[in-house]
Amino acid sequence: MTRAPMLGRFRHGYVAPAVLLVAALLYAPFVWTAYLSLTRYDGLSSPEWIGPANFAELLGDPALLTSTRNTLIWVAGTMILPVGLGLLVAVLSYDIRGGAWFRVPFMLPYALSGAGLALVWSPVLSHGGIANALLGVDTAFLQEAPANTLAMLLVWTWQQVGVNTLLFVVGLQSIPREPVEAARLDGASGWRLFRHVIWPLMRPLTAVVVGLALVASLKTFDIVWVLTQGGPGRNSETLAVTMYKETFVASEYGYGSAVAVMLTVVTGLASYLYLRRQVR
Amino acid sequence: MIRRTVLVVLGLVWLGPAYLLIVNASRPATSYDPGRAWAPPGELALFANFATALESADLGASLAGTLLYSVVSPLLGVVVGALAGYTIVVLRLRHGFRWFLLIFGGTVFPSQMLLVPLFVGYSDAGLYDTRAGMILIYTAVNVPLAAFVLRNFYSGMAFSIFEAARMDGASTFRIFWRVYLPISTSALMAVFILEFTFVWNDLIFGLTLTQTAAVRPVMTALAGLMTDVYAGTPVPVGLAAGLVCSLPTVVLFLATQRLFARGLSLGSV
Amino acid sequence: MIRSRMAALGVAALLLAACGGNGAGTQPRKKSELTLYNDKGAWTRFFDEMGALSKQRIGLGMKPTGYTDSAQYQAFIKASFRTDVKPDLFTWQTGGMLAEIVKQRQVADTTDIWQEAIKAGDLSQDLAPYYTIGGRQYCVPMNVAYWGMFYNKKIFDRHGLRPPATWDDLVRAAATLKNAGVTPFYHTSVLFSFVWFEQLMAGTDPDLYDRLSTGKAKYTDPGVVQVMEKWKELIDAGYFMNPGDKTDPGDVMKNGKAAMVSFGTWFNTSMTQRDLRAGADYGFFVIPNVNPALPKTSVIFESGPLCSLAKAPDPAASAKYLKWWTTAEAQEKWATTRGDVSANPKVTIEDEALGRITKEAGSGKYRLVNRYFEATPPPVLTAALDGFGKFVTEPGAYREVLETIQKEADEYWSTHQ
Repeated sequence: MTRAPMLGRFRHGYVAPAVLLVAALLYAPFVWTAYLSLTRYDGLSSPEWIGPANFAELLGDPALLTSTRNTLIWVAGTMILPVGLGLLVAVLSYDIRGGAWFRVPFMLPYALSGAGLALVWSPVLSHGGIANALLGVDTAFLQEAPANTLAMLLVWTWQQVGVNTLLFVVGLQSIPREPVEAARLDGASGWRLFRHVIWPLMRPLTAVVVGLALVASLKTFDIVWVLTQGGPGRNSETLAVTMYKETFVASEYGYGSAVAVMLTVVTGLASYLYLRRQVR
Repeated sequence: MIRRTVLVVLGLVWLGPAYLLIVNASRPATSYDPGRAWAPPGELALFANFATALESADLGASLAGTLLYSVVSPLLGVVVGALAGYTIVVLRLRHGFRWFLLIFGGTVFPSQMLLVPLFVGYSDAGLYDTRAGMILIYTAVNVPLAAFVLRNFYSGMAFSIFEAARMDGASTFRIFWRVYLPISTSALMAVFILEFTFVWNDLIFGLTLTQTAAVRPVMTALAGLMTDVYAGTPVPVGLAAGLVCSLPTVVLFLATQRLFARGLSLGSV
Repeated sequence: MIRSRMAALGVAALLLAACGGNGAGTQPRKKSELTLYNDKGAWTRFFDEMGALSKQRIGLGMKPTGYTDSAQYQAFIKASFRTDVKPDLFTWQTGGMLAEIVKQRQVADTTDIWQEAIKAGDLSQDLAPYYTIGGRQYCVPMNVAYWGMFYNKKIFDRHGLRPPATWDDLVRAAATLKNAGVTPFYHTSVLFSFVWFEQLMAGTDPDLYDRLSTGKAKYTDPGVVQVMEKWKELIDAGYFMNPGDKTDPGDVMKNGKAAMVSFGTWFNTSMTQRDLRAGADYGFFVIPNVNPALPKTSVIFESGPLCSLAKAPDPAASAKYLKWWTTAEAQEKWATTRGDVSANPKVTIEDEALGRITKEAGSGKYRLVNRYFEATPPPVLTAALDGFGKFVTEPGAYREVLETIQKEADEYWSTHQ
């Protein structure tokens, strides 16, 4: 049996549904946004071609600097908190009896939608709220930058840890038995076993968790929108919030699309660089 | 023992806000005081609040539609994505990494920016306000995640499994369907859970691409209750609305927990 | 091999089948049920009740299609103009937003409906200017609201306070409350950050306020700077709640976190939903002018239009519906189910204070000032809401805030008019 028949001849047909769906429903609509980024447009009359002027304006916009800074905080914070804690919970709970039930508290918050999240957390983060009382401080957690971004990051952590735990557990389950048992016979256990045997074997799913978190954190929108709408005075805006506000709230479709294009390029590039290293 | 202690302590921290949610959703709508949000309610009004929340939502008509999307789209997405992942990794598709990038690339676009062009495209194609249209968009959104997870899941598996099945004369699709899908149940389930939750809680695609009650997402009125100042909704009712929306997802979590409990023992770390 | 191909073909066929769904393209022209697109998803039940009533009375049913995010909603409506998916009826905003879509010749003319309704006493002439563009009327009022001050009556009584007749009275009341350890006023840095700005502007120099919203005055003009300084003075005196307090304003009133909350009459719904009784637990007063020399007290006025399109699927049915919407019978139902005021002067408002202001406003006692949210063009508004949000957390930054808003205004007005 030669290689080609062994692997089948219809391989492109198998990826076709995935590629077609993604191309038609996600790539194609974005072409319109890319076009709009080179125009002035209010969503109503016809777009007026102005070339790269929006991008030039973007570079000199001080608000963009804040958005970029906040977005970077989101990316770094997401890697440390939701991803890190997700790994911790997965590893701790994976093979103890009833481990699945220990994970339930972390899964529950994921079911709550954005608006519900804001309702639950506002009495906590409010000035004079529960967090103030518990910590004995007088900070208005959703007002001052960068405290507001950090506070929202904690809320986000509360909601997202469960997802990452779930994926890490799947990664742990996919580990082949033999290498682990061989290492154990060699006397490896505890931290050493984890660091040198289990962790490398988990890598495929770790790459998934980190890759997904990278993309999602660069596009952070919902949680900021429901908790602060990017304020006060734009100090908690992320790039996605800036994009949304410029496009839909201020009806500056051209400028908002330019932010979207920039965000997409950054997200695409970051995930490409990461995936090339981790997945190939 | 240490592991259990850490888990229990962390778990309790995580349950704190969940406690706030339940306590305040159980409070009589008229006796909410954010300054005392942590205090247990004097009387239980959880079901009264549920009733008030549900009264404003016409759940009957759209529940079937939303359930259809949140089950069918993730199912399709998982199968289509897994097939792509299988083809790229196991069948060693030429330029597989590029194909993978192309599919995963679907996630980098900010979804808010897709709404207007999708709406225009859907209305031209006659897909606006159809269930098929909704299933299609949700499936497309779900495919990259499924492809990524399953691609990596399969990459950790020995090629000998495939070879053995192939020697027995099974077709490549049959091997995917009969061998690879079953051994990846937990990965498939994890992806399904994430995608179900996404579709169930989604408002942006659902609202922009539909119109009639039978096709629209079920959450519109409930979500409106929680955000609209003009509605003047008391916080306990808003929270009760949030709980109602979350219920199916929670049930799904609990029902599938067992799937994630199996696996090899790593020994005491 | 064959089987795998079959399976792949099956998937492809499924996709094609899904793609070929039947569209909304070919509906009959005559409609017996209309769809009403709106950004008030939470009002679905109230719209449904109206639909049931209209079906019974004029044989024309109505179903709401609600959105929850108004920015997303507006983008959708604008996009729908370019497609075959046309709403029969839709809610919108007065001011620049309405002018914009009228200019595109999208909105159905309702001049006849207005003229008849004014003659029949179903709409007041005072309301017409908000719906008039180039001498013709468009849309009808879906809701109206007058802005004033809701106050906690128990707190007022405890400190021997009464609704103020002059601005000085109001400030004195605030000082009394502050000395007694009660926070006088609510304000916020999210969305409704403009409330005190518009109130102080309208009460100081309503003409300047109007010029500001049409680009004829600048945010850096001395009159505007003085208003900001006045606002800062009140904040510095400690009369406002911390804007970082995220308590729902309804609960602020209920729990006495602040004694006074300024909102439109629709805020009454928040009160009744919390079982507060008008006259016993809370009251409502018109905020006196800052400048006592002005001839009339300025009252912020808000009205949301209900519109139909010139190219609506069934223009006659849409027009018939709008006409019915303005009648006393429809408005009675619409106002009472929500516990709100109505655009129709014939509707009796149960709540005494709200009934009074509706009547007085209808009789020309006040100078109605268009709410800032509608009066200001979207790009400037966006900058201003952010600016005021920053100001309330950092009052010292008022000059910088005004300059930022003006920069956006310069850019906007340089390409508009």
